Order: sequence, then C-alpha cells, then structure tokens
Amino acid sequence: MRYEIRVDGTMSKVTLNEAFPELESVFMRHQTVLYGPVTDEAHLYGLLARFQSLGLHVLEMRQLPE
Amino acid sequence: MTPTGDPVLAARFAVPSVPTTFVRRPRLVKLLSDGEGCPLILVNGPAGAGKTLLVADWTGSAAMPGPVVWLTLERGDDMPGTFWAYVLAALRRSAGSLPDGVGTPARADEVDPSLLARLAAHLSNRDEPVLLVLDEFERVASTEIASQLHFVLRHSAPGLRLVLISRSEPLLPLHRYRAAGEITDIRNGDLAFTPPETAALLSRHGLSLPADDARALTERTRGWAAGLRLTALATQGAADPEGFLAEFEASRSTVADFLLAEVLDVQPAETQDLLLRTSILEQTHPDLADALTGRQDADGILARLQHANAFVEPIGHSWYRHHPLFAEILRVQLRARHPGLEPELHRRAARWLGEAGRLADALPHAVEGDDWAFATTRFVDDLAIGRLFTGLDSNHFAELFSGMGPEAAGPAADIVRAARDLARNDTDNGLNHLQRAEEGLLDDGPADASAARLSCAFLRVIAGRLIGSADMAQTAAQAAEDLARTIPERLLGDHPELTALLQTDLGSALLWEGRFETARTALTAAAEAPDSPATAFPRHESLSRLALIELLRGWIGRAEAHAHRALAEAERCGLPPSSCTGVGQLVLAEVAVDRDDLPAARTALQCAAESSAARHDPIVANGLVIVRSRLFLAARDPEAALTALADAGGLTSASAPSPWVADRVALAASAAHLAAGDPEAAVEALEDRVSSGPERAVGLARVHLASGDGERALEVLDSVHGESGSGPGTAVPVLLARSQAAVLLGDDASAARLLGRALATARPEHLRRPFCDAGPWLRRLLRNRPVLARAHDWLPAGLLAGLPRPDTVRDGAVLLVEPLSEREREVLDRAAQMMSTEEIAADLHLSVNTVKTHLKSINRKLSATRRGEAVRRAKELHLL
Repeated sequence: MRYEIRVDGTMSKVTLNEAFPELESVFMRHQTVLYGPVTDEAHLYGLLARFQSLGLHVLEMRQLPE
Repeated sequence: MTPTGDPVLAARFAVPSVPTTFVRRPRLVKLLSDGEGCPLILVNGPAGAGKTLLVADWTGSAAMPGPVVWLTLERGDDMPGTFWAYVLAALRRSAGSLPDGVGTPARADEVDPSLLARLAAHLSNRDEPVLLVLDEFERVASTEIASQLHFVLRHSAPGLRLVLISRSEPLLPLHRYRAAGEITDIRNGDLAFTPPETAALLSRHGLSLPADDARALTERTRGWAAGLRLTALATQGAADPEGFLAEFEASRSTVADFLLAEVLDVQPAETQDLLLRTSILEQTHPDLADALTGRQDADGILARLQHANAFVEPIGHSWYRHHPLFAEILRVQLRARHPGLEPELHRRAARWLGEAGRLADALPHAVEGDDWAFATTRFVDDLAIGRLFTGLDSNHFAELFSGMGPEAAGPAADIVRAARDLARNDTDNGLNHLQRAEEGLLDDGPADASAARLSCAFLRVIAGRLIGSADMAQTAAQAAEDLARTIPERLLGDHPELTALLQTDLGSALLWEGRFETARTALTAAAEAPDSPATAFPRHESLSRLALIELLRGWIGRAEAHAHRALAEAERCGLPPSSCTGVGQLVLAEVAVDRDDLPAARTALQCAAESSAARHDPIVANGLVIVRSRLFLAARDPEAALTALADAGGLTSASAPSPWVADRVALAASAAHLAAGDPEAAVEALEDRVSSGPERAVGLARVHLASGDGERALEVLDSVHGESGSGPGTAVPVLLARSQAAVLLGDDASAARLLGRALATARPEHLRRPFCDAGPWLRRLLRNRPVLARAHDWLPAGLLAGLPRPDTVRDGAVLLVEPLSEREREVLDRAAQMMSTEEIAADLHLSVNTVKTHLKSINRKLSATRRGEAVRRAKELHLL
C-alpha cells in the first residue's frame, strides 16, 4: 500500500533524508507532503511514532489508490 | 535480576528534578488536584509537551496523602514479567511496606495472575493510597499489560492511584473509567502554553517579550513546551534576538527541525560533537561521552548543558539523560553529518559499558555495531550463559543473539549458538555447535578461557539431560566443578542460576536413568540455590523432581510435601502454571490416586497436561499416560486404561530410554490386562520388560493370585527382598499380596497378621489405593475380623461399610491381630490393676524401657492407642 502524509511546515532536507529515507517528498505551501510505499500496519504506526518523536505535526494521512 | 544499588536503575525510580526555569501553571495543578479520588490520571501529549515535568512538579509540591512511586519505563519493558518486576521493585523501594510474600516474577514474558491478585489485595488494605506514576508509558504497547494494570487498579481501590504519562492513549478500557467519572484526563490542548504562560517562560530565560509577540510565538509553536524552550535557547544565543524571532515567525519550516538546527549551530564545535555522538545512548556518563568523542572534556560540557537547561537532565550519580525529543533529532543530524559513524560509536559504547560491568547495557550496542565477536565473548566471559535459559532477561538476550549470522566465528559465538539451540530443546544442532566450540577452545590453547570452558561443561550437562545420558551429564558436571575453582568467586556469585541449572539438569539426567540417590543429592543442592528470580525456575523444577523421587520410592507424604513446596515456589516467583515443569502437578495427581481422591487427581492431571513440559519432557508425557490409565482403572474401565497406555513409549525424545519409566508403563499395562480378565497378557506385559524388583514381583504374584495359586504367588514374592529406604507405597502392595496368598492357602491367622501390618504401614500416608484394588478377599477377611479395621477410619467407606461397630464386638471369637506373648499378658494384667509403669517394672524385675516396649506392642496388637483402652479391649476379648 502507498500512503500520503502531510506535515505542517517545511521540513529540512536533512530530516527528510535521514529520518524518512523510504519516503519521497514535495513541498507545498507551508506543508511538506511525504509519500511512498508502506509495508504494513506496523510500518504505518512506526512512521507515526517517528513523526511524533521528531516533533512533527501530522495534518493529514491517506492511503493512495494503487 | 534484583534492581538494587545500580545508579541507572535508581534513576528509573527517581522523580525527575524540575529545572529552575520551570513555569508552574496553576490551572494544570488544579486539574490534577481536582481529580482527588480518581483512581486513574492520564497525561497524554506529544514529545516535549511538558508532561513529565508537570507531574513531577505536582507530586513534589502538593501535599500527597500517601507515598509517590515513580517508574520511568524503558525499551524492553513491554513484557509482562519485566514490567511487573520493575513496578514491584519501584513499590518496594518507595512505598517500603510491600511484603515479600507478594513475590517477584521470574520470567520476562508471563506473570502468574495470582501474583497480581496478591499485589492488589495488599494495596487495597492500605490506609493512604500509593500514587504510582508510570512515565513514558507509550513504550508499553502490550494489551496484556494494559489489562493486568486494569485488573490491579480495579481490585486495589482505594489503595492505589495510577498516573500514566504517555505520548499515546493507553490500551486500558478508558471508556469505562470515563463513564464512571473515575479518570482525570490531561491532554495536549491542556498542556499547551497560553500567551501569558509563554511570556512567563521566556522571562525565566531572561527575555522579555511584548504581548503581541508572545501571542504570535505561542501560535507559531502551538504552545508546545519543547518548541518554546528551544526558542528561548536559540534567542539567547542569537546576536539579534528580535530579528531571530521575526525570522522564525516568517519561516514556515517545522518547529523542532528549525529551532534545533539553530540551537545546535550556535553551540561550540566540541559541544555539538558531543551531543551528536552521545545521541546513540539512552543515558550518558562523562567518561562514556569521552570514550565516544575521544576527548577529555565531557564533564564540563555536560554540566554546562544541564545548567543552561538544554538537551540533558541529570539523573544522579553523574549520569545524564537526553531529552527524548532532542535525542531523536540529534540522531538524524548525526547520520547526516557523519555518515557511517554510528556503528563505530556503538562499538565504542559497548566496550566502555562492558568494561564497566554493565553487560545488559553493553550487548545491545555491540549488536547495533555488528560486533558479534565482542558481544559473544563478553557474554561468555561474564559467565552469563545460564541467562539464556532462565530469568527475567532470558528472552531479551535470546532476541539480541537471534540476529547473529553464520559469519560470526570463534568459540564464544559457537557457545552462544549451542545454548540457544539447547534452550529450544534442539539437541542435534546444540551438540554440533558445542563440539565446534570445544574444538575451538582446544586450538586456542590455555589462554584465559576458563569461563568459556565452564560454559561448555554446563551446556554439556544440559545436553546430557536432553538425550537421557546420565554419564555424559555426570562427567560434564565433574568437569564443571573443577573449572569453577579457576573462576573468581565474585563472578560465580553473580550467577547463582548457573550452578542451580547445572545441578537441576544433572539431577534430572540421573533421575531419568533411575539413579535416585545421586539424583537426590544434586536436586537438593539445586533446590537450596540462593533466592533470585534467575534461580526460580531451577528451584521449582528441582523440588518437583525431588517429589517424583519420593513418589517412586513409595513415600507418598514426602512426595506430596515436596510437590506443594515446588508449586508454592512457582507461585511466589510468578511462574504461570503453563510454564511450570508439570512434574509437581503430576506427583500430586499420583498421590491423589494413591489416596483414592479421584476428583483431586483429575484436577492435578489437567494442570500437568497444560504445562509446557507436557510437550517436550518425556517424564511428564509418560507420567500423564500412566495417571490417565490409573484413573480409568480406578473407575473399573480396564479397556480405556489400555487404550490410554497405547500412547506411551513413542513420547521419548531421549536417545536412551529410562528404565523406570518403561517399568511403570509395563506395570500399568499388566494391571489393566489383569483387570480386563486376561492373565496371559498381564504376564506377557511384565516378562522381559520389567526389571526385577518388588513391583514386578507384586505384578506377577497378582496374576497367580487371580488364578488361585497362592503357593506360586508366595514363591515370586519370596524371591525379592524389600529395598532399603523404600516407603509404604512399595511395602503395602507386597504385604497385601502376601496376605491374599495366605488366605488362599487357608492360613487365616497369617493373613490377618499381614493385613494388620499392611494397614498399619499405610495409615500414616492414608494410602487407600491398594486396599481399593484388593478384591473381595479383603472384604471377607475384614468381616471375619472387624478388629483389624479398628483405628483405620481413613479406609474408604466402601470397605468399612457393613463391618460391625468395634464397640459392639463382645464375643471372644474375634481374634487379636496377633496373640499376646506370655510376658505381655503379665504386663497387661498389672496395668489392669492400675499399676504405674515403674511399679510394673519393679514387680516383674524388668527395666522401665522394656515395660514401655511391651505396652507399645500390646497397644498395637489390641489396636488401642492408650493403656486404658488396651485394658478395656482385653476385657472385651476375655483376655483378662
């Protein structure tokens, strides 16, 4: 499954590359959109925990149609 | 693992200190205090929301009605046994009065519900409630722990109040607490700073902010405490504070990311380097930080960082903890700025922690650093190999080593592999690895490898038990004993589980081969191992096996006592029934069958069948089969008993069969065949299959007795001599078979005498089974001589029914168990004249002791318990 996750604010390249190497990203207006394959539920919850422990504010998260 | 005296463990139980810049917010304190009487307080919010400090400040300042117990959870606490071990340790340390009887779990993955019930019962009796704070509860994702916490909280009211500090909602049934108004919820919306609070916080950092700016900053950071703290630090360091705040507000980058980079960049290069490098640690110490940076300045830097309220907080004894949020971001920065450095840092941390004797902390770093040589060598040299078999951290260690690939070489790696295989009962692979390890040690020469050699000997004892070779186990145990002398005593003392496991497995191997006396010595030593969670399982197992030995020797009462001790030990240590050895319950089932308490036997049998050992321990597997067949036989269903026995035999994983296990199966089969009316099959089941001994003789004699051949039965019985040290369980069936043979030969006097002896021998143990199984001859004999049944009201009611009441027996036709001798008659005569023992002695020119002996045998022969009763009985029988 593929997911799209919107985070409030513009994330630095360093954080994107090092903390979420498995996801791609684009910058929107005041937002960072991360997207990419999510292996399973465990991976999904792990991602959420990673956002939380980096002080990132998740605005939206949705599964992308295949 | 008893958490005592260790500074880092102490830090887990310490209430975090509140920094000088902390802003107390009365509205939150009021929320907490208003919850007075709520058993559950929930503080939920993201990292850096200020949860911990809020609760720490509240518990430190408000007047608490009872003790405050603090526990900071860590990685690896997500298993019930480990979790409750820490909770209990925290309660013991802070609340003081938790009694030892509550116990401590001995296994990481399970905890016995009865332990939690005891804890709740104790807490509910308290006058003032304990406030238990569990910080970083998001590390506990287990539903099992959540429901256990719910159970304890429900049943200990009002003696316990629980505060859960977590980034995510815990899995307790919160809706029920909410519906009952029994919860105080503090969520991120409550924790967020208001603009005036923001201004107050910044003024603590020496910054004064106009109200508008405070509102803007609060909005920008969403009142996030960590964000505000970082802002304060960054602004302090910035050349132009106002310009910085404007820039921060204008930039739309994520808060933590932006601020941390700003804060980090203004730090001196050494400080940045230290922060990045130590971010791989959960806790840091100046010396450890120096080892990671290769410099000597950590002491000062850490002290300064703490003083500035940035990044680290002291947890006592020179140890520091990174703010969890900053550690995450620092790790990201470390990877970006020093690609590839992480594994090297882990290896250095592992070495430093290993040198400091902190094995459990060092190993995860060695594994992260892919340094298997260090991890395994350290593990083996620390003599920790037994920890893979028992104790709270056995799963933890097994999991750590599960990532080890085949490329890791050397004796230590092979020893760890062998231990992992043997712990899973995989004997073949275990022995292969063990052999490679031993060969490796030979090649290595006599360099300091005594710990490795001792580990090999230890594993060989375990392998000996698994394949059923007492010789192998005994040789290895001897080698281990010699090697242990070359090991520092302190190191051995740190690992009581090693000796306890070794003795238990040696004893088990000897027991399997039927070498009961040597087995008893080893098992007794194991049962007396020092009390610690790591030795709980070997102590329980050795006590169970001691119970089995007593049972096999015919000592029913001793077997029962040992089995109860084994089960009590398991319960005290929180070993859940499913992970107990099952031998104890099996012994209780056999004892209950022996005593003709069939419902109790069925209950114990069920428990034994549910233990994990029922699957891999051939003693338990075969024992279950035997008890089932005995139960069917007791219920007069020999066909079912035989069907049950068909499962036996194939259950042996050991390469060498156990002689006594095979004997018992064959004896049970023989008895079932005989009960089914097939004497030929009964003989066949015994011949060539059962080694000589009283049990075999009784089995054969029964067949002869069934066919009415008393002489041949006696012949068989005469051919064996009672084994020394065997108990009523062995002796009573022999006496009964002899008694029945005497009945068949028409010698009723001898039959009665033998039956009397059988009854007297069986009485202390209440051994009813042989009498239930004896058949109609016994009832006839008892009817003819009711005096025999006197003082045996423990016999099953079915046997006693219809016998004349003893006090109605008045005619002389009823004979004595045994006739009185001439001397006894003289003594009795004088006793009837109310002479004292001393007077009788003087009158008959005998010693006082001799008179006492005569009086004893008079009592026995008259089935009396006191002198007066004997005189009365003698008069009834017209002996006087």
